Formats: sequence, structure tokens, C-alpha cells
Amino acid sequence: MEEDQLEKFVVAYLKKKGFKQAEHAFQEELQQHQSKNNSSSSISTNSITDPDFAKHLLSFSEFESVVARYQDGYSKLRSWTYSSLDLYKHELLRVLYPVFIHCFMDLVVKGHIQGARTFFNSFREDHEMMHSRDLQKLEGVLSPSHLEEMEFAHSLRHSKVKIKICQYTYELLLQYLHKTQLTIMLGIINEHINFQVSPGQPISISDDTEVVTLIGSSQDEATQINQKEIQWGLLEDSLEERLEKSGVLLSDSEKAEGETKEGELDENKKRSVEGGKQGTSTKKLKKDKAASAMGKTGRPEANAVITAPRVKPELALPVISTEVEKSILEDLRNRVQLSSVSLPSVNFYTFINTHNGLNCSSISHDGSLVAGGFSDSSLKVWDMAKLGQEAVGSVLQGENDTTSSEYVLGSNGGKRSYTLFQGHSGPVYSATFSPLGDFLLSSSADSTVRLWSTTMNANLVCYKGHNYPVWDVQFSPLGHYFASASHDRTARIWSMDRIQPLRIMAGHLSDVDCVQWHVNCNYIATGSSDKTVRLWDVQSGECVRIFIGHRSMVLSLAMSSDGRYMASGDEDGAIMMWDLSSGRCVTPLMGHTSCVWSLAFSCEGSLLASGSADCTVKLWDVTASTKVPKTEENKSGNTNRLRSLRTLPTKSSPVYALRFSRRNLLFAAGVLSKSV
Amino acid sequence: MSIVPKETIEVIAQSIGINNLSPDVALALAPDVEYRMREIMQEAVKCMRHSKRTTLTAEDVDGALNLRNVEPIYGFASGGPLRFKRAIGHRDLFYIDDKDVDLKDVIEAPLPKAPLDAAILCHWLAIEGVQPAIPENASVEVITAPSNVKDHEQKDDGLPVDIKLPVKHILSRELQLYFDKITELTMSRSDSVLFKQALVSLATDSGLHPLVPYFTYFIADEVSHGLSDYSLLFALMRVVRSLLQNPHIHIEPYLHQLMPSVVTCLVAKRLGNRFADDHWELRDFTANLVASICKRFGHVYNNLQTRLTKTLLNAFLDPKRSLTQQYGAIQGLAALGPNVVRILILPNLEPYMRLLEPEMLLEKQKNEMKRNEAWRVYGALLHAAGQCIYDLLKMFPPLTSLPAHAVWRSNARVTTTVPNKRKESMEHLGEQPPHKKTATDGPILPVFTNSSPSHMEGISVVPVPGDSNIGPSSSSGQTPNEIVDGRGKRDKGDKQALKKSALLNQIWKNDLDSGHLLVSLLELFGEGILSFIPAPEMSLFL
Repeated sequence: MEEDQLEKFVVAYLKKKGFKQAEHAFQEELQQHQSKNNSSSSISTNSITDPDFAKHLLSFSEFESVVARYQDGYSKLRSWTYSSLDLYKHELLRVLYPVFIHCFMDLVVKGHIQGARTFFNSFREDHEMMHSRDLQKLEGVLSPSHLEEMEFAHSLRHSKVKIKICQYTYELLLQYLHKTQLTIMLGIINEHINFQVSPGQPISISDDTEVVTLIGSSQDEATQINQKEIQWGLLEDSLEERLEKSGVLLSDSEKAEGETKEGELDENKKRSVEGGKQGTSTKKLKKDKAASAMGKTGRPEANAVITAPRVKPELALPVISTEVEKSILEDLRNRVQLSSVSLPSVNFYTFINTHNGLNCSSISHDGSLVAGGFSDSSLKVWDMAKLGQEAVGSVLQGENDTTSSEYVLGSNGGKRSYTLFQGHSGPVYSATFSPLGDFLLSSSADSTVRLWSTTMNANLVCYKGHNYPVWDVQFSPLGHYFASASHDRTARIWSMDRIQPLRIMAGHLSDVDCVQWHVNCNYIATGSSDKTVRLWDVQSGECVRIFIGHRSMVLSLAMSSDGRYMASGDEDGAIMMWDLSSGRCVTPLMGHTSCVWSLAFSCEGSLLASGSADCTVKLWDVTASTKVPKTEENKSGNTNRLRSLRTLPTKSSPVYALRFSRRNLLFAAGVLSKSV
Repeated sequence: MSIVPKETIEVIAQSIGINNLSPDVALALAPDVEYRMREIMQEAVKCMRHSKRTTLTAEDVDGALNLRNVEPIYGFASGGPLRFKRAIGHRDLFYIDDKDVDLKDVIEAPLPKAPLDAAILCHWLAIEGVQPAIPENASVEVITAPSNVKDHEQKDDGLPVDIKLPVKHILSRELQLYFDKITELTMSRSDSVLFKQALVSLATDSGLHPLVPYFTYFIADEVSHGLSDYSLLFALMRVVRSLLQNPHIHIEPYLHQLMPSVVTCLVAKRLGNRFADDHWELRDFTANLVASICKRFGHVYNNLQTRLTKTLLNAFLDPKRSLTQQYGAIQGLAALGPNVVRILILPNLEPYMRLLEPEMLLEKQKNEMKRNEAWRVYGALLHAAGQCIYDLLKMFPPLTSLPAHAVWRSNARVTTTVPNKRKESMEHLGEQPPHKKTATDGPILPVFTNSSPSHMEGISVVPVPGDSNIGPSSSSGQTPNEIVDGRGKRDKGDKQALKKSALLNQIWKNDLDSGHLLVSLLELFGEGILSFIPAPEMSLFL
């Protein structure tokens, strides 16, 4: 019986392959064998009676049609999904993309390169809109070895995608797959997708923050990490706090307050821990905050309610001299209160004649110094207080009267309008001013970070540690410490007085493109080309949050001044607002059509400004958009889009940098490009 | 399979000296090459993003190669976009056009202008959320005036990145000398032989172009100052003519400067202050000059002729203008061709004659000078009208050659004319001013002997409504007879020769118009006009 079957397979296989002679030979031999068999006993049969072997042969005979089966299976699943009820359709659609990707990779692994190509191209368009960047990456995969080599693909193959789906949809899907016997599809789904089946109604379509984004790291890990508690409260004993507490008596406030502070501190601590643990308890605080913000406009002393929890610094923070402190306090007292009805004034610095060489720009906290990093390795600093005396006149004077005495324009004041800093040996990718404007850091493609003194106009230190271009560098909000982000997939924490990094944050799966300090200096956030944003504890060097949701490389980050929210902008022009404590996306902000180069929160955190390559500065209402999810957190929010307040177009100048001064004047910098 | 064909791999292998690359290897390499290339391009995009750009440059690719520790490809970072050329004979093979650069040229070339240094400008993008309407901001719907002077300054030194430096006009020493010499001759010794040679030089020499603006300025200046100096004006006009004749000079851009002075010499009230000055001659000369300018540049500046005729017509129709001015205007119009005369002068002829008549008569106008002028004007008018009527009649060939006539019409060309008619016209031309004769050229185109703009001829068949109006009103009882006569004869002739040509009606109409015209002219000018009419036609009409 079984032998007959086996013989049939063999004959069929030979026929298929066109081995005619072999077929003949085989049949001849068979006949001989049979005749022999008749004579002798049936000994030979028992040798090949393994049913598994027959199955193996069966699958072997079908080898040729693997591509067709994949293609057929996927297209069946696809057409079924598209024709399903609207209620469940969008949930099912989420399943399609991972299935598509894995079908393609399976085909590549099995060696059907040509088939994989045609499969990829025939269904590519479905996913083009959402996942074009992934597709571009995967398109180049042409051999199994590439899959192993490419980290993105590699990690995709070795991790499961988590998809939230409702009970009924899940059953529908499984039923269909079983009924139609699409075993390949079923296999892929089993192997690579991890369904989180939730009872009840399917999730509404508008809730597209939950959309499937394939990143390399396993999402279980991410959720596990996001369980960790963080203390996002403001630093205790910050100047703002002191201003609120002491009002006018500043000079000797420290001593006088010595004891009262102790008591309050404990309370703060408690609250902050609470705030870190669960988002719910902070809601109340948040409400308080809003209330206090209302009251604060009139009186700085109306601070019986402490707005945000206070935390202790984990780092030894630099001491601020009293004069500087005074000037900062002066600024804080003169701060303009911004809200959706009182928008800021924006001062725009336009770079001209840069000949396409400007890579980055940075503005000091008081707006008086503007630095530009160029692709010819040079760093140029303009002192706008001197340069634009008549142009910006009174405002700038007011802004920098405290510090202008410290600045010396340097020997070349006559001819050049700027101070030239030379020292790097590769394009300068980022620059940052210390909070007081007396130091400047720059990072470059030569994998170094350099510290410059703007008072002496000299290079002080060269920090070597990264192995690849350093994309970004940022001073901590209080100075002294700084963080750098590099192509070597690490972010590093440094202090100005050491040439070795203090911490190395490793974990991103691709370049770390941007870095930003949390206001309390205990955390840094990093944005990466792996489309995630991570939050790291500076003290321990651990990753404490992973924010997943961007669909392309993250280019800019900003932290709100109350330490609760973070905004991140990506290559496609999307801005996402994150709640640090929950690790969730509060609101996606759509509006920009091109790369978001820069983000900045206003000082009291009510507005977010974004600067983009599409030559606009946009102002977003933060208070309105963050309050909404608080009241209706359980996702019925079509309204939870961040409200765009104003779009300010520039004259063909992509916006490279944004900075709110301490008095809430917004400075923006961009380069005039001829054809945009 | 991959977008890199295996042939490419083979070619590259050969280019680095591997001649015996097996096809299997090439086939295996091709997908890998594509994968690597994609990788590098993705890295390059990263570099581009960090340079805050949205266009990929060769520098970015070099940066990406650096990241992979690969030697960058040198020679492509020259800024400008690469120009690919298609290889001849291949549909999709491109190469970069690499020009040979002579090292000597590079070394000897003057240093290029240093690029402008980077700078920062500062402006308010928004004040309390509202964008001020200043030039630095993107234009809002309403463009208001810049708010203050400071904005102007900034705009001036900021936004236009490439600044135009004032152009220095360098004139060689020789040209300066030449210019001085010519102007001196024109000013003082315009009757010398040397001046005539200078005119020839002006008309023929190449390389005078740099001087043209100076000459036009000189002419305009001198004409406005020297209206009383007849010889100077004449000399200047001669210079103008020579400049116009010079084939190496591109004079069009300066015409607008030149025309006013020329027209001034045509219709000025007084030209020259001595009695002996024959300003009539100057006017005639200038009239021809104007006509030739119109002829040459009329197609470039469409409104040139209309503007000119408007000016002239104003001078002609304004009774307050002096007779000299009117003479100039008539001559100018006449020089523009019989068509212009017929459209612009003939309709106004009758009222004008009524005004002119008293001036001509001894008893009415005592001033000898004025009377003389009036007769001059009369002569000019007569000449213009006569030429016009001649031109009209000339189109009717003798009855015997009707078929030829038809051919000529249908072709609408002036080339075929009947020789015997031309001969007669030559006889009549005896009365014309001498310069007209000089303009007579070859016998092939008789049109040129009479009027300058030959291209007008083709459309002269169009009947002029003004004429038909005047005809009936002015003609007395005897005219209808004549017309009927003429028509009758022509009718018969036409019917005999041609059967039912579509052109017939038009010809009849034309005849009718000419008949009317001739009659009215006869009334106005008396027998004087008859000398302009060729004999065959004359016999026809009278």
C-alpha cells in the first residue's frame, strides 16, 4: 500500500523535474523489483514504511509552489479582511502588516528571492502610507544572509508583535483561517503575533495611537521597563520654587527658610513618590497646578499649593553664584504669562549666505548669543546684543543687560560680525549653550565633543569617548553636566571637569539622534532612528521608559517645565506628546509636513513651539490638550489632538532652533534657503 | 533579480582587472551590491537629516561612507548638480560629462569673487502671536508698507544675497578719440569732404557699437540745443542715417532716445534761423529717415508707427500749427506710404484745403513768405495725394491683360507688373522732388519708386470707407456719369474676359472707390493730379 504511494510520488517527482531517463530507469527497475518481489518475500518493503518519510516527500514535491502558496494565502487573507465588517475591519487590518512582513521574510529565508520580490511589490502599496520607512529598509533584503545581518530584520524575526484585538475579532480571524486552511498564514500568526485579546467592543478607529509599529525590541520588555517608577517632579530648592516661596526677600532667604524647608521637603517627597507610581494620584496635583497657575498670574506669593512634586537631585549640582541667581530671579519675576489667548512674541534670527553649510544652530537662554555649526567644521557665534543693537534694540537690551558685561567680542570685532571657533575636524552637528551662556559645547562628525568658553573665545576641553559621529549634545538645565548622543547607539553623560564619560546609556537599536535633559536633571531622554524614545535614569544609567509610537526617526525632544510631559518630533512631521509617568502617548500632533527640527516648551509649560523644515513655526496649546485625556482617559477621545494655536510661516527659512527665554520671549533661528 | 544587473558587476570587475569572473559569482554579488548600496544610502539620509537638510548631497554619501570606514568617492562634491549624458547608441546608459580643463586656464583665471560671509539678521516673526507685515516675513495677504526705516535697511543689506555691482563701461582710448573726432566734425565742419568720409565710416565700420549710447545722447543733446543751426541739424540727421545703415550696430535699444530728435527735425516750427536755410530739404530728408526707421523696426516695435503717425497727424490737423510744421507732417506721412496717406490725409483733405486756399492766394495773404510756405504745403499735399492715387490706379492693369491681373491679385504679390505701365510712371515721376528719384532702384519693383513701405501694398485692395463718403458728398452732377461710364466699360471688359470670378466684386468696388477718389481729388487739385495718373487708366476714367 504505502510502497505504491511512495512509488507514485517518486514517479511524479521525476516527471515534474523532467528527468525522463531517470524515470524510465526507475520504472524498469521497479518492474524488475516487482518480479523479484513476487519471487522473494516482502522484505524490502519494511525498510521504507515510515509515514513521516512519505509526508516529507509529499512536501518535497510541492516545493515549487511555495511562493504561490504564500502569495495566494496572503491575498486571500487580505481580501477577506478588506471585505469584513467595518466594525472589525481596522482591527484586522493591523494584523495584515506583520503577516505581510513575515511572509516576505519567510520567502527570503527559504531562498525564493525572486518570488519574495514579486510578493513584496504586489502588496507593498497597502502599507506604503503607514510604514514606508520600514518597507524601504526591507526592500533591499535579497538573501538570507542579509536578514541575519540587518538588525532590524533580525530582531523582527526573533520577537513577537503585540497586537490588541477584541475577543470577537480574534475568533473571527481564527475561524476564517481554520476554515480556509490557510496554514501558512496561521503559522505566521502563531509564530510572530502575540494577541492581547480584550473582551468587549472593538477599539474605535480614531484611536490610532495604538497602531502597530514594528520596532526591533520586544514589546514585552518595553512594558516591563515602563512599569518602573520614575520621579518626574521638579527639583526641590530650585530658583522657581524659591521665588514662589520667598517673594521679595531673596538675599537671605536660605537661612531663614532652613527649617521650614525640612518639613515641606518630606511632604514633597511623599507626593513625588506617589506621583511617580501612578498617574492617577497626580491628576489631583495637576488640577491644583492649573488652579495655581490661574492665581499665579496676579501674585507670585500665592503658592500655598505646591504645584508639582519636588524631588531630590541625584547628582551633585553646581552652585549658582548669587548675582546670577539674582538676575535669573529678576527674569522670572518679569516673565510674561503665556496661554492660548496671550501668545508669545517671536524673534527670528535668519542666517544668510551660509552656502548650504549650516548644520545646526543654538540660541543661548537669554537670546543674546547665537551659535551656528557648519559643515566645514567651524563653529560661529554671533553676539546679537552687539550686532543687532539698533535692530532689536530695547528687547535684547532688557534680555541681556545682566550678562552683556561679561561678553567680549574678541579681537576680530572689527571685521567679522561673529567669533569663529575652529577645532573640529568634521561637520559640526550640534551646539548647546550653558544656562548662563558662558560655555558652549559642540559635537561633530569627528566623534568628539568640544567645550568652548564664550568669554575667552577659546577651546577648553575636547571630550573623546564616542566612536562615531556625535549627533547631539545638550547641557543639563543647571549646567556642569551634559549629555551626548551618537551614531554608536549610545548616549553618554559627562561632566565638564572630566574627560571620561560618567555614564553610558546603551540600549537603542540604532543611532541615538537627539538627547534632552529632564528638568530635574535626574533623567535624560533620547530619541533614536529605531523610532523609539527612551528615558534613562542618570544615576543608575538604566532605561526607565520606552516610548513607542513614532513611525520614523526621532529628531527633536523637549521636556515640559513641570517635568510631566515630553514632546518628540520626527522625520515625517509628527509630534507626539508623552506622559512620562505612564509612558503613554497623550496626543499625536499632526500639522507639519516635513522634519520637525526643534521643539520648545514655554517656561510655565502652557505652550509648545515647534520648528520645522516646512518653514513654519507652530504654536500648540498644551494645557488644553493635556487636560482632555485626564477627564476621559479611557479612550473615547477623538478630541485629544493637541490644539494648534498659530502657524507662523517664515520666508523660505527652515526653522533650526527654538528657545524660550526666561521671560518667555521665543527665539527662533533658521537659514534662508533660496528655493523651498 | 536585483536592480543591479550582473553585467554591471562584470564591467566593474573588468575595470579593476579581474577578467575571468565567473557568471555565478557575478550573479551572487549583484544582490549583495544592491543591499550594500541601499544601506549606504540609508546612512546618507541620516547624515542629511543631521545636517538639517531635506535634499541629499554628495557630501552626505561621503559621510555615510566614512561611517562605514570606506574611502569616500572623491570628485563629486563640487556643489553643482551632476549632469548626466546619454551614451550614443545606448538607450539607458549614462555617463557624467567630464570636461577637459586646461590647467593653464585655471591658473590664469582671475580669482573669483570671495563668497559672502555668513551673517545673521534679526526680525520679529510675530509680536504677541501676530505676524507683522514686514518684508522679512512671508507675505501675508495684505502687503502693507514697511513699518519703519529700519526694515528697509535690513532688507537692503540682507535678503538679496547676490548683490549686483554697478557696471563700469570701459571705452577704449581709440574709440574715445574716434567719438571726439566725429562730434567735432559734425559740430563744425559738416560740409567738408572729411565729414562725408566720416559718414561712410559710421555707416560701414564694425566695432562702433560701444559708442552708440554716446552718439544717441550726443544727437539728442545737440538737437535740443541747436534747433537754430540748420547745418548742424542736417549733419546730425546724416549721422543718424549712417548709424542706421551700419549693419554692425544694434541700434534698437537706443531708438527711443533717437526718435524724438528725429521727429523734432521733421515737424519743428523753425529749423535754422537764416532765410537761406533750406529747411524744406531737411524735412524731406528726415521724412525719409523716419520712414526707413519705421520700415526697419516696425515689426519689432508694433506701436512705433502708430505713435509716429499719431504725432504727425496731430501736427497736420492742428490749424494753429505753423505751415512749416504741417509740411513736415505731410511729408512724414507721405513717406510712410500711400496707404497711410489714403487713410489719414485724404479724409481730411477737403477741410484742410479750405483752410489752405486763402493762404495761397495773393490777395488774401500778403506775406510773401507765408504764401510761399502755403504753396509748398500745397505741393506736398498734391504730391502725397497724387502718389496715393497713382498707387491705387497702378493696380489696374490695362484691360488687355486681365488674366495676368487675376493671377497677380490672387497671389497678392507685387512682383509681377506690366512693364509698359512702369515706364509711364517713370515719366510722371519727373515732377517729384529730387530725393525721390535717388530712391529709385531696379525696374523690377516699381513700388519702391513711389513709396517706401512695400509691404503695405498687399493690403491696399481693402476699400476705404472714408473715400466713398467723401465721393458722393463732394461730387457734383457730372461725376455719376463718369462713374457709370467707367463701370460700364469695366463691366463689359470683365464680363468678356473673366466669367464669374469671385474677385470681380472686389475689383469693381475698388474701381468705384478709385473713381470717387479721383473725382474728389480732381476737384481739389484741378489738373495737377492728372499727371499722376497713368495713361491707360486716364483714358479709362476720362
